[in-house]
Formats: sequence, C-alpha cells, structure tokens
Amino acid sequence: MRCPTLLALLAGVMLYLVMGALVFRYWESPMESKEHEKLLCTTRDFLGNHSCVTAQNLSDLIKSVVKAVEAGLDVKHSSTNFTSRWDLASAFFFCGTIITTIGFGNLSPRTKWGQLFCVCYALVGIPMFGFLLAGVGDHMGTGLRKAVWKMETLFLKRRVSPTYVRIMSAVLSILIGCLIFLAVPTLVFKEVEDWSFLEALYFVVITLTTVGFGDYVAGANRRDGDLFKPLVWLWIVFGLAYFASILTMIGNWLRVLSKKTRAEMEELRAHATDWTQNIQNMSMDFRIPNPLDLNDPFLLQRRRWKRSTRRRVRRGALGHHGRQGVIGENGHLPNRWVSHTRSMTRLEVRNEGTRLGPGADSRVSARSEGRSLGRTLARSLSMPAARSVMELDYVRDPVAMMMLQGESAFESKSLSESPESDSRSEVSSSDSHTSDMCTPGQGITFASFDASGSLCTGERGSQGGSRQVFFQEDIRFPVPLQQLPKSHNPTKPIPMSPIFSVKPMPLPMPLPMPLPMPLPMPTPPGCKMLDFFGENLAYIDESSDTLSDRNQPVEGAVSPRPRKPRRRSIRRQLPHRSTLKERDSDMQPPSNPPTPPPLSHLRD
Amino acid sequence: MSSWYKSWILLTGFILFYVAYLLFGAFVFSTIERPVEDKLKRDIQVLKEEFLNQSCVNATSLEHFLEGVLQANKYGISILPNSSASSNWDLASSLFFANTLVTTVGYGHTTPLSDTGKAFSIFYALLGVPFTMLVLTACVQRLMHLVTYGPISMCRQKIGLEPLAATAIHFAILLLVVVLGFFVVPAVVFSYIEDTWSFLDAIYFCFITLCTIGLGDYVPGEKPGQNFRSLYKISVMVYLFVGLMMMYLVLRAFHRMADLHGLTSFFQLPHCDEDIEEDKEPIIEAGHEDQHEAEDSAKPLDPASQTSYNTINR
Repeated sequence: MRCPTLLALLAGVMLYLVMGALVFRYWESPMESKEHEKLLCTTRDFLGNHSCVTAQNLSDLIKSVVKAVEAGLDVKHSSTNFTSRWDLASAFFFCGTIITTIGFGNLSPRTKWGQLFCVCYALVGIPMFGFLLAGVGDHMGTGLRKAVWKMETLFLKRRVSPTYVRIMSAVLSILIGCLIFLAVPTLVFKEVEDWSFLEALYFVVITLTTVGFGDYVAGANRRDGDLFKPLVWLWIVFGLAYFASILTMIGNWLRVLSKKTRAEMEELRAHATDWTQNIQNMSMDFRIPNPLDLNDPFLLQRRRWKRSTRRRVRRGALGHHGRQGVIGENGHLPNRWVSHTRSMTRLEVRNEGTRLGPGADSRVSARSEGRSLGRTLARSLSMPAARSVMELDYVRDPVAMMMLQGESAFESKSLSESPESDSRSEVSSSDSHTSDMCTPGQGITFASFDASGSLCTGERGSQGGSRQVFFQEDIRFPVPLQQLPKSHNPTKPIPMSPIFSVKPMPLPMPLPMPLPMPLPMPTPPGCKMLDFFGENLAYIDESSDTLSDRNQPVEGAVSPRPRKPRRRSIRRQLPHRSTLKERDSDMQPPSNPPTPPPLSHLRD
Repeated sequence: MSSWYKSWILLTGFILFYVAYLLFGAFVFSTIERPVEDKLKRDIQVLKEEFLNQSCVNATSLEHFLEGVLQANKYGISILPNSSASSNWDLASSLFFANTLVTTVGYGHTTPLSDTGKAFSIFYALLGVPFTMLVLTACVQRLMHLVTYGPISMCRQKIGLEPLAATAIHFAILLLVVVLGFFVVPAVVFSYIEDTWSFLDAIYFCFITLCTIGLGDYVPGEKPGQNFRSLYKISVMVYLFVGLMMMYLVLRAFHRMADLHGLTSFFQLPHCDEDIEEDKEPIIEAGHEDQHEAEDSAKPLDPASQTSYNTINR
C-alpha cells in the first residue's frame, strides 16, 4: 500500500475515533449525571432513614462490597450457601473468552498465580485459536464459495453482468451470515436472558467483534443448564469464523479489483504505446521501398517520377507545377504543401463543421480538415478524376466510405496527436493521396495517368460543375455504381494505368448531380480517394507482407476481388483505429502490426 | 482425496486438542481461584452482618441500597466521597472508550448506558473494527519491509547467513525487542503511575490489553484524582495502537518464519499472505526472492492447497 494511502487511512481512523468520542460523550454524559444524582439521593435517603449508620461506616461497607463485586462476586443474592462462580463450566467459558480475546471481564483471576497463569495460557492459546479460526474459516469459506458460485452461475445464465453478480453474491452471503449468526442468537438471548432486543443485539455484536465489554454476558446468571455456556461458546467460534471468512473474501475481491484496474491501466498504456509504435512502423513502411518489386511497372514509373521531381525540386522548380514536386522523396507531400494546405483547411474546417452538423466534433473537424486538405489540393491541382475510383470504392461499402472519409481526415487529425514526424508523414500521405491522383497530370511521365490527367484538365475547366460533383461525392457516399463507368471498378489498384485508361470519360458527367445542399467547397474527395488509392498501391507494394497480414481478417467478408479488400483493409484500419480510440472499451491486445478489428465493428 | 481427508482429520484433531486445552485451563483456574473466592465471600458476609448488627438498618433496605450502589458502580459511577467529579464520559475518556471499542479490546469499565448509546456502539463497532484492522494491516505491511525484510536481506548479504537461520535469528531478536519495549517498560511505567498496581499487575494488564482481551479488571487512569488524566488516557491509547501493531508484526514475522521452515505446510495451516510482493521495494527484492525460493522449496510438502486461507479468493 502506498504511503499516502496509508497516511490517509491513519488520518481516517483518527477522525473516526474523535467522532465516536464526541458522539458517545453527547449521549452518555447526561445519563451518567442522572445516575449519579440518583445514587446520591439513595445514599442520602438511606443515611437519613437509618441514622445509626455513619457516612464512614457506609463508605467502608461500600468499598468492600465493590471490591467483592469486582472480584466477580454476586452480592445481590445474599444466600449463605455458596455457589462459586468458578465452577467448571464458567471457567471453561472464561478460558474461551480469553482465547478468543473477547475478554468479558465479568470473571477474572484475582490471585497472582491466577494472573500469571492467565498470561501464559493466553500466550499459547491465542495463536492456537487463530489457527483454528483460520481452518474453520477456510472450510466454511470453501463451502460458502461453492454456494456463492452456484448462485452466480444461476445468475450468469440469465445474462446479468458479472460485477453485478459478484456484488449480489457478496451481499447475499453477508445477509445469510447475518441471519444465522446475528439474528437468531439475538432472539435466543432475548428470550433466555430476558434482555430487550437492543440489549441482546448489542451483546451479540460486541461479542462477535471480540470487543467483549462484559456488561452483558450470556449465561452469567444461570447456575443450571450447563449446556448453555458451551453452546454460546460454539456460536462464538463459528460466528467469528464466518465473519473472518467474509472479511477475507471481501479483502481478496478488493485486492483483485485493484490488481485488475492496475492491469487494465497497464494494458491501456501498452495499447497506446503499441499503437504509436505501429503508426511509426507504418510510416516507416511507407518510406521503405521494397527492393523485390523492381519489376512492377507502376513502381518503376513512380520511382522515376520521384527522381525527376526530386531533381526538379532541387532546381527549385516548384510552383505552379507544384504537383510535380508535390510528392516528396518518400512519396509524400513535402511539408511545404502540408502547411499550405493546413492553413487553407483551417478556413474550411469551420464551414465543414457547420455543414456536416452532428457527429463527433473532432471527427467532423478532422474529417473536414482532411477532406478540405484534399479539396484544396485537388483544387489547386485541379484534381478530380479519382473521384470515380472513389465512387467505385465507396459504392462497395458505404459505411467504409464514410468511415474512410472521416478516417483519412481523422487520421490526419489523430496523427497530429502522434509524433510530429508521423503526423507529417501521414498528413502528407493523405495529401499525397490527393496529389497522386492529379499529379499524373501535366508533364508527368505516367502514361497511366493520362486519363486522369485529362480528367484533371477537364475538371479544371469546369470548376463549377466539378464543384457540384465533388460535393455530391462528399455528401452522398454511396454513389450508385451503375452510374459509373464500368469495368474494373473496384479492384486493381495496381496498376493504375489500366483503370484509368479504362475510364473512358471524364467523370463529372455520370454523376448524379442533384445535390440539394449548397456546396461551398469544391474539392473532390474523389481526388483524395485516388491519391489514397495510389498511396495504397505504394503501400501494398512496398510492404506487401504486412499488408497481407492485415488483410486477412477483413478479407473474406467484403468482396470477392482480391484488390478491393486490400484497399478496404487499409481504409478500414483507419476507421478502426479511430473508433478504437473513440471507444475505450473492449480493446483487443495489440499485435504488431495491428490487426484490424473484425468487420462487426463497422457493422455496428 | 487423501489430502482432503488429511485436512479434515487434521482439523478435527486440532479442534479436539483445542477443547482439551480449554478444559485444562478451566480446571487450573478453578483450582486456583476458587479458594480465594470463598474467602472473599465469607469476608463480605461477615462485614454485612457486622454492619447490620451495629446499626438500625435492616437487611432488605441494605440490600436495596447496595443494589443501587452496585448498579451505579457497574457503569463506573462511584459513590465514594473522594471520587473525583470528573465524568467517565468527558472527551478524553470517550475517546478512550471509542478506542477500546474499535480495537476490540473492550475493557467494560465504562459501557454505554443509554439505549441510543448501545445502538450507536453497534454500528460504530461494525464499521470501526474492519477499518481499524485495515489500517493496522496496512501499517504492518509497510513496517514489515522496514523491520523484517530489510534486516534479513542485509544479514544475508553482509554476513552471508542462510535464509532459514537468518529469519529465525531475526524473529528471536524481534520478539525480544517487542517484549522489552512493549511489556516490560510500560509495565514499569504503569506500576509507577498507578498506586495500587504491582509490577505483575502491570504486566498482566499490558498483556491482556495488547492481546485485545481486555478483561477490564485493571484499567489505567481510573484512579480518582489522577493528574493529567486526559493526557494519560490519550497516551494509553497511543500505546495500545502501537502495541497492537507490534503484536501483529510479530505474529506476521512468526508466520513467515513458520512458512519458511515448512511448519505451516506440515500442519496444513494457512500460508502467509503472498500479496506483499506488490509492495516490494527494489532494494530488498533479492532477499525476498530468496525467501520465496525457500518457500517454494517448502511448498511441495503441501498437497492440498485449499487449506490456505487466502485461496478463498476468486
């Protein structure tokens, strides 16, 4: 136990004592003075009535009588035949009170030898009784545990929550114990000893807590019925054992609870660190090109492009062709762009937020931020085409799309929380998503992107139209598939060329326009989608192993086509990450890399 | 199954032995105290007769009177003229009473008179007793590190003793220190302060108090005209609390030692609490681990783990 806890406990006990003292004083003092008054009256009356008695005589008499009473004599019954109080049964009872440390005190050794023997007797007997109590308590505890377990299974069958069941079983066991060991003896003593109910209860509690004042002692006045005292003693033993076992049970539960909460906290922390680690790893994965994929045309193209852009960057030719320099060395947007887009997104975030309305604020803002990022980028880069791809993807799984939207944005947002480099890389990755789409625009050697490039240019021309289109894309995620150019819809992120080449016409057309909402933002999340798509490709290629691992859990449920699930898995990771962060409950132990939670999460 | 039988047989044997112990004690007490009681009774009879003879008081009125006096005396109210005006329920005494209630000592020299007082004591005790035990256990746990594990590990590291020998020696020293510090010295102090107490009475009082038996035949600070009564009672309270802690400490050290030496396994008694590991401090970890190793080596003796009181957890 920690020191502060201990000190707090000590202070608590002290306070408790002082409080008790005050209360007792309040209740007892008046009564005491009343008794005193009564006694003085009686004495005065006595002295008055019997004038031949002097005060001195009286006080002498009283002194001796009191001493005799303290020695345990019963001077009320002045019978000449003497029945000792130290008969065997009473002595047995006295020993019992010594051993259990109750110590009533109505009977106590007066002689020196008696006292000495008492000390030695107690020295041996108390530990022995302690062991006995432990043993009896153990067996009783086992029986109690079995009964409680049976009860608990009964309740658990009815699908009551375990903690509730545990609490209920504890309460029940305590109640049963109270009934057997408190209520029944109280009634018995009330009848046998002719005490009031309160006095009997008082005696029972004071005895079972081993306080043992001795003002009320069961069986003290009975000379006959020697069976009564041993029975009382047996009750004491079992009652003590029962309550000791209850206390141990409660103590153990508390300990387990504290261990569990500690374990859970540890787990939480482990989760958090694991996640950040995984994010870092993923970002590392993004950066590390897989040398085994040398044959992949797309990658080759990409690398060539990267090199060219790098060269261009070095020559400082960033500007309007910014998109060429957009993708940095590692395939991410350079920071320059990030900051730019960020600043831009700030303006849009608020709008987005207001437009989107309900939903987690952070999520909305994040989503809007991300999307606006993409949007601004797309706008600047005259993006657009990937929209179709996005649609394709979106169509598949509306929820995923929505999640994705939120996610990619959320991702950027969440990444802002994670280490700087990560956030930068991720944001840039999301940016690069957007950029990727359109970079294969002008002056880029990607043949594959020609279509998109044309799309881009086409889009650029029709800003207004695209605006609406894109907006639609924003809001209405499940764009009906049939409106989109067919073919390969979903699949094949790799290579991109076929997809884009297949896309015959610029996308804006087929998209159902009718967006009732006024769209302030023209940006195409579709572009972002494509970029993300592109990034996906890279990701998939460059770290295919980890990705395939990731894909496994999600794969089967979604679609038959191989590529799609992979993409989806990536996307889904983001939502899962965020959802997991959002709901702290039922976290799974993190694996490395993090396995996406089962699809059920999305379906919730 | 045999282990289960064994545990039951052991328990029964234990109970029987315990009953025999009680009977033996009863017999001895009876033999010792009875003659003294007889004598006292005879003396009182004589006194009463003398009183009645020399005065105009008749027996019944005297009995009636005495009943009243004794009733009052039971609650601590003395009729004797030089009894101080100090109440039994002033703040210090009430605190003392609350303390005896909560530590389960329960002298009984002052008990609640009113019904409300009794009802309140019930609830107060039901809450306060577990609370006090919790505090005492917590203190003892921390003290154990200081007093037991630290010195033992130091012993082992510096002198290179075996754990068994180290714990045994340490326990003996601890016992000696506790007896000296908490029995002998306070007894001397008490016998000095209380006029009517001899040294044996004081030791008897210390023992009865620290074992929380609390018979109540000797209670400090009840002398009429006691100087600094409040301070005295409060210091007795502190002594009670600290002494209880030391008793628990000794008991716990003994339990660990018995565990180590395999006594508890042999008798199938409950093992010592293992949850101290949570509070382990790094410096004594080495010694602690070795103790656990030794305990583990002792564990194979124990076939039935269910006798451990601490396995009653979930």
